[in-house]
Amino acid sequence: MSSVEDILAAENELTHLLGAQQAVVLSTRIRLARNLEGMPFPGWAKVPQRKEIADRCVEALDALPKFRRGHVLRMGELGDRDRAVLVERHLVSKELAAGKSGAAVISRDQTCSVMVNEEDHLRIQVVKAGWHLRGTWHIAEQLDDALGGTLKLAFSDRLGYLTACPTNVGTGLRASAMVHLPGLCLAGHMDKVSRALNQDGLAVRGWLGEGTEAAGNVFQISNQQTLGLSEEAILKHLGGWIRNVVEQEWNARRKLAQEEGEKFVDRLARSLGVLRSARLLTSSEAMNMLSHLRLACDMGCLPEERRHLVDRLMIEGQPAHVQARAGQELDSDGRDRRRAAVVREALKDFPEVVPPTA
Amino acid sequence: MSQPIKCSLCEEAATVHLSQVVHGNVTKVHLCEACAQKGGATDPAVFQLADALTIASPAPTLTCPKCGFTDIDFRKRGRLGCPDCWETFGDALGGLLLKVQHEASHVGRAPAGTLPAGQLRRRLDDARVEMEKAITGEDYEAAARLRDEIAGLEQQLAHS
Repeated sequence: MSSVEDILAAENELTHLLGAQQAVVLSTRIRLARNLEGMPFPGWAKVPQRKEIADRCVEALDALPKFRRGHVLRMGELGDRDRAVLVERHLVSKELAAGKSGAAVISRDQTCSVMVNEEDHLRIQVVKAGWHLRGTWHIAEQLDDALGGTLKLAFSDRLGYLTACPTNVGTGLRASAMVHLPGLCLAGHMDKVSRALNQDGLAVRGWLGEGTEAAGNVFQISNQQTLGLSEEAILKHLGGWIRNVVEQEWNARRKLAQEEGEKFVDRLARSLGVLRSARLLTSSEAMNMLSHLRLACDMGCLPEERRHLVDRLMIEGQPAHVQARAGQELDSDGRDRRRAAVVREALKDFPEVVPPTA
Repeated sequence: MSQPIKCSLCEEAATVHLSQVVHGNVTKVHLCEACAQKGGATDPAVFQLADALTIASPAPTLTCPKCGFTDIDFRKRGRLGCPDCWETFGDALGGLLLKVQHEASHVGRAPAGTLPAGQLRRRLDDARVEMEKAITGEDYEAAARLRDEIAGLEQQLAHS
């Protein structure tokens, strides 16, 4: 079994763990950009230097207890589909997957993944299901300390951690929450919320990060400033805004449910109906209807314990996942057929949608 | 095997090669398909070789002694070449940093979880002011906590 198949088969908290999922916030993510002292950044390094960087970083990471029995994946050794699966799972970025000299070291439980030779030598990432800013940060902090103990990291007293791009210098910290905002989208408030977040130094992106659309009403909200603010201040600022957005989302949902009454329940019930009987489902169609099911689970229209299944379908309904599960390359129609079959099977014993209780 | 010639304007492999003789000097430009199209290189009457040259090769004014990266490279890529580039280009990047980061100096963690001396000193100054305020406001609990923090910071500074 290849390592990527292993990752797909393993149960992890984003797709399987019952009780880890929460309403509104799908996941919390911390990213730290770090570089080795005295080595050119990956984009400027020559091929042998990139190899040396990869070897040194992978060796240091592999020795950490966090990555025991984990995965070491070299992009140059993986097929297109395997790399696409990793991107869809947010374990690596599109940029890393596009190059040959990148590597990813992933913990067994898939909560920690370190990209090597992306824009920076090291990109430490920690992801937890639900909203756990402090807990996620502490894991990243420990990893950073452990790595700093074995690797000499590029740091300046005045500028902090030195990075390839000026937008990451200082703390190198990007903290983010993946949030599901169907209420604000349906109410037509999302533009306003986005603008307010932007004005206060936070970026709002789609499901797969930079330059992607917000399929399924899922957005990634993250800090932009990395210099001149302590990690503590960055987390506090993001945390305050996420609490605010979650509250606004709940207000929008309750208002919609109240004002629309039966129409609100009908919308959710229709999505369940289509998902349960469609023979062909495109990826964006599936995302948008699964968004309704997640909303239904949050609002008590469907049992809350089904939420993790909806989250799993959102991840596994993406094109590379569908093909990996099928074990073959599929054209667009083939993928839509296969996606519909997987969704039908998963939802076959779902109960009917009932009026909201939340 | 020799390296493919790169486009003078971007990093792509060059497929269009032009030579021009101006006052007896031969200048050559190598372009990729996209840049050639953009510059009108497919139409000799329109193509301004001199324009391409002025974009392609103004003399760099700053070069990193460690990795050979220049300010021209930065303009093309928006990324630096190596950690030492920050030393070379730090002053030149000051304006850009203020624009994207709104700040010019680091506050926060350092390797091994220690605060650098500069930050310790800044925190010490702040803590002293906060302690004065706490005493004036008769918040003795906070004042005691700050007094302990100040003692700790002074000790760390003495050892750094």
